[in-house]
Amino acid sequence: MIYFDNAATSGHKPQTVINAVNYAMKNLSANPGRSGHKASILASDMVYNTRKKLADFFGAEGAEQVIFTQNCTQSINFVIKGILKKGDHVLVSNLEHNAVMRPLFKMGINYDAVTVFDDDNDTILDFEKKIKANTKLVIMTAASNVTGKILPFAEIGKICHKRGIFFCLDGAQGAGVLPINMQKMHIDYLCVAPHKGLYAPMGIGVLICRKPIENTIIEGGTGSSSLNLKQPDILPEMLESGTLNVPAIAGLSAGLDFVGQVGIENIYKKEMRLCKAFYDGISKNKKILIYTKEPLMHKYAPVMPFNLQGVPSERAAEILDSHSIAVRAGLHCAPSAHKTLNTTDFGTLRASFSVFNNENEVLRAINALKNV
Amino acid sequence: MKRYIIATGTVTYALKGRDILRKNGFSVKIERITGDKTLGCGYVLVVVGNIAEAEKILNSSGIKILKITEEQ
Repeated sequence: MIYFDNAATSGHKPQTVINAVNYAMKNLSANPGRSGHKASILASDMVYNTRKKLADFFGAEGAEQVIFTQNCTQSINFVIKGILKKGDHVLVSNLEHNAVMRPLFKMGINYDAVTVFDDDNDTILDFEKKIKANTKLVIMTAASNVTGKILPFAEIGKICHKRGIFFCLDGAQGAGVLPINMQKMHIDYLCVAPHKGLYAPMGIGVLICRKPIENTIIEGGTGSSSLNLKQPDILPEMLESGTLNVPAIAGLSAGLDFVGQVGIENIYKKEMRLCKAFYDGISKNKKILIYTKEPLMHKYAPVMPFNLQGVPSERAAEILDSHSIAVRAGLHCAPSAHKTLNTTDFGTLRASFSVFNNENEVLRAINALKNV
Repeated sequence: MKRYIIATGTVTYALKGRDILRKNGFSVKIERITGDKTLGCGYVLVVVGNIAEAEKILNSSGIKILKITEEQ
């Protein structure tokens, strides 16, 4: 199987991640933050050390800012529903995932979409033009999960900081691939999907808060102040009701070590080399439509949207699957991006690469597409 | 030497406090005390040494202290 669906979840996990999950299942199956016995404190220690690693990795000030959630979507919901009220204005990009768009729609929040241009200066100009007096939050993806376009999030963070607007970065496609430093880039809230670029198991998400969250959407047991029915207002416990996914957190810890050892720059370079080789190969194939420009370093993440002419993307993905090539088809939960590409009717195929893919797999996929 | 119990309210702050105090040369461990509902999560730092200095270090690191008691 050639797995090119890494933007959905990284298909191959490092052995160290598998070992860490296995170790946690055997040795850390005690509830962290709940009991006083050694096993519980050992689990609490591992959870705390992973918080510290995440804070260091993403340039946050401290471990207490790191919240474990079920997934990146839940992290985004915690931010949107935790700080916004009717009457607030929000800025998003025109490439956002439904993880952002659906909560805004449900809350009836007034928002504007910034157009993402190929030239970042044009994007920033459009962004500045759309800021209103009541803009409370800017929430944007680091890189589009459909086109791979990297947004100028460091510049946007700087402007938000100057204007006193909260800035939330959806790091689902960026974390582990692009350098993200919350303090340097003025990111107030960072939402992460660790099962993608951090090679963690599924079922764990991360939210890092450098600014407060006012409201909770889930309440329950936190292991603290149990006599008081009011949800604690101290992070991370405020947003962590119920038992944490300890084995997944252990896997995430090992995934962070893996990414740190290989190096983000090396991971990004390799994935972009594969993405460019794939682009070069399929752009010679007259049966293929490509929906993005040449994937240049530092402008794109390693994601390639394309279609087989006249074939709906879901059908094309089935054909590729019969050649043992796994790609994503459809709208990728990001209809806004597909409206921008004018691909809402058929969706697109999407090939996305990980550090575990290689040139030979890319060549085999290019050849398979020639023979379809 | 006297031993003191410092309650921080959450296990995360207790663990953070433990690391910071250890870096500053304190002998400190984490314990969980049940029965005292004023201790938040029940996880406490058991510290040996100059408690005024420990309190100052924790405060300057942004760790909210709920209560300090001398161990009987």
